[in-house]
Parts: sequence; C-alpha cells; structure tokens
Amino acid sequence: MAETYHDTDVLVMGGGGAGFRAAIEAAHSGVHVTLVSKGPLARSGASPMAGADFTLDGTSMNELGREGDVNDSKEKVFNDIVTQGWYLNNQKLVGQYVDTAKSQLADLMEWGIDITLSDQRAIFTSGTGIMDVLLKKARAVGVELLEDVSILELMKTDGRIAGALGLDVRTGEFIRFRAGAVVIASGGWHKAFWPNTGMRDLSGDGIAAAFRAGADIGNMEFITFCCNVFYAPPIWRGSLAPYILSLVCGGRMSDRNGDDLLSGFDPVLQQKGVLTEWNKSFLSYVSTLAAREGRALENGGIHYSRGDVDWGFMQMVGGVIFPNWKYKAIDFSTWAEKLEKNEPVEVGPAVEYFDGGIVVGDRFETTVPGLYAAGEAALGAFGANRVFSAVTEMLVQGRDAGRFSAEFAKAKKAPEPKRDAFREAEERACAPLSCTGGENPPAVRRNIQEAAHRRLGPIRSEGELTAFIGMLEDVQKNVLSNLSVSYTGRTYNKEWFDALELRNIVELLLVSAKSARLRTESRGVHFREDFPHTDNDAWLCETIVSRGEDAIAFSSRPVTVPHMTPPRGKTPYLEMMKTLMEAHSDTGGKH
Amino acid sequence: MVQKNITVTVLRTDPEKSDAGTKQRYTVPFTEGMSAMDVLDYIYQHLDSSVAYYDHAGCGLGICARCTGRINGKAGLFCQTPVDGGGELVLEPTGKDRVQRDLVMKKK
Ligand SMILES: Cc1cc2nc3c(=O)[nH]c(=O)nc-3n(C[C@H](O)[C@H](O)[C@H](O)COP(=O)(O)OP(=O)(O)OC[C@H]3O[C@@H](n4cnc5c(N)ncnc54)[C@H](O)[C@@H]3O)c2cc1C
Ligand code: FES
Repeated sequence: MAETYHDTDVLVMGGGGAGFRAAIEAAHSGVHVTLVSKGPLARSGASPMAGADFTLDGTSMNELGREGDVNDSKEKVFNDIVTQGWYLNNQKLVGQYVDTAKSQLADLMEWGIDITLSDQRAIFTSGTGIMDVLLKKARAVGVELLEDVSILELMKTDGRIAGALGLDVRTGEFIRFRAGAVVIASGGWHKAFWPNTGMRDLSGDGIAAAFRAGADIGNMEFITFCCNVFYAPPIWRGSLAPYILSLVCGGRMSDRNGDDLLSGFDPVLQQKGVLTEWNKSFLSYVSTLAAREGRALENGGIHYSRGDVDWGFMQMVGGVIFPNWKYKAIDFSTWAEKLEKNEPVEVGPAVEYFDGGIVVGDRFETTVPGLYAAGEAALGAFGANRVFSAVTEMLVQGRDAGRFSAEFAKAKKAPEPKRDAFREAEERACAPLSCTGGENPPAVRRNIQEAAHRRLGPIRSEGELTAFIGMLEDVQKNVLSNLSVSYTGRTYNKEWFDALELRNIVELLLVSAKSARLRTESRGVHFREDFPHTDNDAWLCETIVSRGEDAIAFSSRPVTVPHMTPPRGKTPYLEMMKTLMEAHSDTGGKH
Repeated sequence: MVQKNITVTVLRTDPEKSDAGTKQRYTVPFTEGMSAMDVLDYIYQHLDSSVAYYDHAGCGLGICARCTGRINGKAGLFCQTPVDGGGELVLEPTGKDRVQRDLVMKKK
C-alpha cells in the first residue's frame, strides 16, 4: 500500500466541541491546523448530544446582556464546583474555568449562537447549535477538516510528538500525519459500557494512545452515570429525556414492587438529589442500590412516572424541552400519553461523563512534549463529581489548548517521524485482518460492556472489581491478539474497527478498575460498598497512572488547593453528600 | 408468550468483489419497541458480523443523521424507524450508485 503523508503544524484529534475550539484558536495563531474526526464533523462524540447548558456566574451573564443572578459571583461558582467535586478538584483548572467562561460565551455570542433561555447561572442552547457555530467558524479561519478518519497511534521522535497514524474508516487506508504538536480532544470512553448514552465512536482512543505514548492519566475511577436514562424501549435506549424532565419537574421513581425509591432518605438529599444536577450522582446511586437489592425491573432499571406532578405543568415543560414531544428525529408522543395517564417507563443509570483522563498542566500540556489535551479526554476541573457544565469545560479548555499547542509548534521545528514506527503500527493494526479462527470482536466487546456496567457502576466492591480485573486481564492476554474478522476486505470493516477499539477499551477499563480498587473510600461518583466513608485524612489525592518501561505504576498526587482548604476526618458517604449539598452558595438554579 | 421473529432481507454490496446487490436473509427475535438499527445490531452481534452499516460513529438517537437507508422501500433513519414483530423487513442503501459497502453510502 502506498505511503501517504499528511503534513500540518497542529493536529487536532476529535471533532467535538473541544477539538473544534482548539482548532479555531490554533488557526488564529497563524499555524496550519488539521482537525481529524472519527465521526461526522460537528455531529459526533458527546457534544451534539448535549442539551445543552453553558454555565457561569450570573453576574458575568448579566454583563453580557443575558438574564442571570447579579448576586452571583466567580467566588461562589468556584466554591460550588469544588464542594460538588468533593474537594478532589484541581483548583487551578477550576480557576481557569471560572475566569475564562465569560469571554468564551462572548465569543459564542459573537459567532451567532442561538440561546433558548437562561436561568440564574446558565444559558441553555443546544449541542448541535454550538457545533454548527464552531464548524462555520473553523471553516472561516481555514482549519483543514477530515471526517471518518480515526487516529490509531501517536508517533514520537526523541521523546517528542512528531505525528500520528490515522485510518480512513471508509476506505481502510492508512494516513501518516506529520505534525509539530497534537491536541487530544477525543472525548470519553462511553463505548466501554452497555447500556450507554448513545455515541458509538467514543472508545477512549485518545486517552489510550496518549497513555501508550507515555502521558500520565488520572482519576480514572471517577465515572459519572446519568440517572433516569431510558432503558426501554430499545429505540429510545440511552436517551436522557426522562432525566431532563425529572430534573425540571420531579416525578415518581419506584422499584419493581411499586415502592417509592426515595422514601427513607434525608429530605435534603431528596430535594437537592432530584431537582438539581446532584441528581446524577445521588439518583444513580439510589437506583443501583435498588438493583443490587433485587428490586430492579426486567432490564435492570427502575420505574419513572409523573407521580403527583400536575400534568398541565409537565406538558408545559415538555413543550419547551421537546416541542410536540419530538427531539430531533425522536418521537416521544407515546411517552407523553403514558405520562398523562401516569403510567411508568423503565429508566436507569447509564455512563455519561468521565471525570478523569489525561493529566494536563496549566497550558494543557501533557507529560509528553508537544502533546496537549482538552475537554472530556483530559483530567478536568470537576474532581470526584461533576454538577457544572462539561460544555463550558470543553470550550474553555479547547481554546487554551489550541493557543498553547500552536505556540509550541511555532517555536520548535517538528522532528521527523520514524518510517519504521509507522510501518510497525500499521502492521499491528492489520493483524485482525489476517488472523483466522480467532474470536469475534463484537461478541467480545458486548460481553465486556455489560460487565463494565455492572462492576464499574456507581456502586463498587473489592470482590467484584477483582473478578472484573481478572476477566479483563484474561482478555488482554489471550483474546486481543486472537481476534479475527469474517470480512477481510478493508472497506468500511466494522469488525476490524471493533477489534482496534477493543484494545483501548480493555486498557482503560483495567486502569479504571484498578484505580477503583485502590481507592478504599467513597467519594463523589465512586461509592465503595466495603468502604462507605469519605476519608478526607487518607484520600484527598488524585490517582495518577504512569506507564513505566514494562509495567503500569499507580501513584497518588495531593489535590491542588491554592484557594479552598478541604475538610478533615472520616464521614459516612450520604452524610458527606448532604454537607456538600448544603455548602452550596445562595445562588439558585440547577447548578 | 410466543417469541415473535422478524424476517429481514439486507441488500449487500461488496465493492472489493464488484458484486452489486446480493439479497441476504436473516431471522431476528423481535423485542417491543425495536428500531431497524436494533435489528442490524442484532445481526452484527449474533448472526453475521460481516454486514456493514454506518455505526462506527452513530448516535443511535436521531441526532447525527448518518444512519440513512431504505426501510421497506421508504427512506429514513435506521435508528428511529420502528419495526413490526412477525413481519418482513427489507433494508437497503439509500441509492444504488454510491454504495461504499452494504448499507453504507459514499460521501457526496
Ligand atoms: C447524552 C449526553 C448529554 C450531555 N448533555 C450535557 C449538557 O447538557 N451539558 C453539559 O455541560 N454537558 C453535557 N454532556 C457532557 C458533554 O456533552 C461532553 O463532556 C462534551 O461535549 C465533551 O466534548 P469533547 O469535545 O471533549 O468530546 P466529544 O464531544 O465527545 O468529541 C469527541 C470527538 O473525538 C472523536 N474521536 C474519538 N476517537 C477518535 C479517534 N480515534 N480519532 C479521531 N477522532 C476521534 C469523536 O468522533 C468526536 O468527534 C452530555 C453528555 C452526553 C453523553
Ligand atoms: S445513528 Fe445518528 S441519527 Fe441514527
């Protein structure tokens, strides 16, 4: 096969919000930028799926001419992000979020973002709306855009980033990229779980490739599950619609016996844990608890119904969020009939956001020179639990990563990538095409996904984590090198992509499960049945994972706390959650 | 309860073999509320993983608009077209001229 080389200054991996924002900023700095997206441009990853809220302090919103609580302040937002994150946040990144969100929103408004409505400290727009604006801007500033191309591996020369190997998903041809700097903006690894919240492209390729290239990753045990996600019918499985409706209106959550899921819990938890975005961690925990006690429905979920919420009110809210009970191409009209009749649907927790990721410094640089990361792929601002906006995060981080990567590429001449390294990576990638009689990639994947949902869900225990680690190690050792495909051509070969993605999925699940086993406490979205206390004496540290010469090393890094001092002592999980909920500033809204 | 099945015909094209349009039949167990995409997922995961449809980056929820095809002759999104139990289902690419492979169309 011919060797195709593609030269650029800054290569951006990922066509979601973080990738586009980085590309636009890098292009502003006057370098040549190529953005490579595995999925459709501006219609892949989590970004277009978002509701979406862009969240910042109400005073800044006001100064930009939007509604917003003028008594709100950057300090209050800072306080809330850190207490919601159970003090595990990197406070430098929280500061970056709080300080730059306003100018970021100003950019979006200048570029023509459509704002549906706003509250005390959030504007509501849509993920697709944001992506359309970014796509238009990227085209206008001359970013080179490639879609349906997957980056498989990063290339280094003398310890520095020199390029990357890509695969054109449609034709099956390799593309060899030469670049002075690379920005990883490839989002999370939702595809490691089943069920999940939709996107089929998010297999953590960027985090895994960066890790293989020597970058540290961290806090991989913190995985946010969204609550009240449709489990059935299959056509709506993974949709967040019931979550959004319950966040605004409330409603009734019950188990298979018809018993109320929330009875017996503290009134503060019942209130804040349903009607604010604390619902993701609280209700996911409560739903998982019910399932573990054998009170789940057919698909492992719970019932959600209107309960004693007035139908007129719900209909009005529904009409704003899903006009005519339609959302894009989904038709929810039969659900509306059920809501009116107070009939339940089956919902449950599903993986939605990854709080951990690639470790970055103040300039969004990783531990590998020339390699940057932003958005969900990076270990971000939210610590152990995210309530504030990941959409804001992807944009503020994308912008800075774009600027600093461009500066790096401008200042230092790109090293020449090694031909042999490309060839070896290509040969490795092609192995499943010539392996015969091996295991079937989709079957292996599905099996792992279901196990991940059970073992790495909101409630964990040593025994289950150990069993899961054993399963993954067996797959890594015996199965990954023995995957074969039934169609051996290269044109749009799904089985082949599954095989390539599986390596990343297994690696990240292993790191995550091992981090979760190490963390013998409960904090944020990580609850350990066998260690049900938040331990602020022993565990106010991030879990950092590094790749040594022949083994993976786990270490811990004290949290970065330039501003707010964390509490001390050991506190039962739900008690700690209540304390943190009550530590919220006096600003209202869902955040 | 008697298990209902769906009889599915998929129009397959392998450009590397230049054989345009082979009809392949599968039997898929029916679940209430299934979409055409769920049917394809079942075939891919349980019956024949050589079948190609645009899903390496689909959203499954009617947002990306990449899962286009013909469902019983009518153009639509596989992921948001419900299917009936007990019936016949024919899945074809949107057109005949620009087929990349099976149900995946080439870029315009
Ligand atoms: C259903 C859903 C709803 C959400 N709603 C909200 C909300 O309302 N508000 C909010 O604040 N947050 C929300 N979030 C979270 C938020 O949307 C994400 O955290 C954010 O969009 C991530 O942006 P990103 O650019 O980092 O990654 P993504 O948007 O996930 O983009 C990743 C990109 O990388 C590409 N990619 C992946 N692998 C490769 C590869 N190997 N090579 C090349 N490209 C690759 C993908 O195709 C995609 O283009 C939601 C998340 C989900 C799943
Ligand atoms: S897969 Fe995205 S619209 Fe069907």
